Amino acid sequence: MAVLAVAVFVAALAAIALEWTHRTKVALLGAAVVVVAGVLEEHAAIEAVDWSTLGLLVGMMIIVGLTERTGVFTYIALRVAQLSGGRPMRLVFLLALVTGVMSAFLDNLTAILLVVPITLLLADLLRVSPIPLVLVEVLASNIGGTATLIGDPPNIMIGSARPELSFLDFIVNLAPVSFFTLLTVTAGLALAFRKQLVVAPERTGEVARLDPAADMRGAPYVKRSLAVLLGTIVGFFLHAPLHLEPAVVALAGATVMLLVAADDVENALERVEWSTIFFFIGLFVMVGGLEERGVIDRVAEGFASVTGGSRTLEALVILWGAAVGSAVVDNIPFTAAMIPVVDSLQGDGFDDATWWALALGACFGGNATIIAAAANVAASGVLERSGKPISFLRFLAVGVPATAASLVIATVYLMIFQL
Amino acid sequence: MIRDLTLVPTSVGADATFEEAARLLRENRLASVAVVDAAGKVVGLFTDEELLLGISPRYLDDLRHTAFLETELPSLRERAAEVRHEPVRKHMRKPVTVQQDASPVHAAERFVHTDEAAIAVVDGSGRFCGMLERTELAHAMLRRLTAPPPDQS
Repeated sequence: MAVLAVAVFVAALAAIALEWTHRTKVALLGAAVVVVAGVLEEHAAIEAVDWSTLGLLVGMMIIVGLTERTGVFTYIALRVAQLSGGRPMRLVFLLALVTGVMSAFLDNLTAILLVVPITLLLADLLRVSPIPLVLVEVLASNIGGTATLIGDPPNIMIGSARPELSFLDFIVNLAPVSFFTLLTVTAGLALAFRKQLVVAPERTGEVARLDPAADMRGAPYVKRSLAVLLGTIVGFFLHAPLHLEPAVVALAGATVMLLVAADDVENALERVEWSTIFFFIGLFVMVGGLEERGVIDRVAEGFASVTGGSRTLEALVILWGAAVGSAVVDNIPFTAAMIPVVDSLQGDGFDDATWWALALGACFGGNATIIAAAANVAASGVLERSGKPISFLRFLAVGVPATAASLVIATVYLMIFQL
Repeated sequence: MIRDLTLVPTSVGADATFEEAARLLRENRLASVAVVDAAGKVVGLFTDEELLLGISPRYLDDLRHTAFLETELPSLRERAAEVRHEPVRKHMRKPVTVQQDASPVHAAERFVHTDEAAIAVVDGSGRFCGMLERTELAHAMLRRLTAPPPDQS
């Protein structure tokens, strides 16, 4: 049974990496095999699903989805872009910053799907290639998402698995290093792309002529939606002293949003990306099979024997291993499998540094390849539809050095401040 | 029966250019034409929405909001020049069809659920018979509404 559990999981990872079919179908098929073959009993399969992760995802999808339609995020992105005065180097940093912050407090995918099309239009107005700008944004979204518990799926899973780690703990331990990494990577990219980003003087005024607030003026529930979103974020900051899980805060926020800012509940619930939710369910069941059959414990034992019990070595292997694993497969399944391994390694103890290593590795690793994170896949889809596709190798040429630089920063950070 | 209604016989070959298809829409004042293969089978529809998308920036579909834009985009002229000679099959949408012996109620259901302005009417082997416009069906059904009731005796 252990062999079957491993075979199903490895086959699923390979199918996801090779894009054999939609990842949700792969995860659900893997979960079905695990349960039908008896690797995991039915009730154990249901227990294996981390409902907190799903609750947090669903809640945020509703809140962010309903706020997005008001045009308020478009307003923020355009206002920030206008601060550049049409000067491309400033624009690179400002777009990176706005994408990074939006990714930290909304989610990567929403931030990318919002910012990339606007960037295509800005590039059109300024008559520059959008590809360097979009690459900066993809990297910024994965780095920015690292900063908070709700920013990136790996962090959501880690935060749900270890309630000891609060929203504030994530910010205190991950936001400064994420911000520094964002600035460093953006500076590197700005330097590399400076010759491609030259705007003719007569076009620099074009961005200033946009009217960022135009879309918000006619939209219903702008203030209410924004109030609920901000209230929910404040709720996240206070969840530990209030003794509420982040998932409860998100679902309560979503409920208030449905009550005060949604006329049609059916339509509002369409904002939930069910394919993502079912992807997570399938993954949790497959990983549950690995746990049930002792595979996770054996991996943890093997891991401990390699690192020889050294805390530093353990954290650094997790950091770099998670990055490589996320780059090759996808950071969500990799993190889902690594969480019980790290749990098993720690036994009855608790060492938050290892969790920060996992979060930094999985999130930063999401930048290495075009398939490593959902935001990358989404951005490449938008670029392709716009007639300016980016190849796997071109992304790799930027993603690998950026990821390597991020991991070096993370290594130094962990060694100085955490280990 | 659908065959008893007035159908628009206009169609365009799948290898025709975007410009030719667009001209057909404009000259015949149509909202939609059928795209047919060499055997006359309907393979798609080219509507005024495809026309709008074709001569707008290619990222238009991904933009959620656009009211903020008050100036002309410099790339539009290039986009029009680029799209002109592309084959219409690159721009068509999936066809919505009804059989020529289908009931008007079935056609009405197709219009309600697809939001098309016109749908393609085909024979038993999928060959194009003509486009049924929504207004034509509405007028035909309206005639029933205003017709005198059948004689009860």
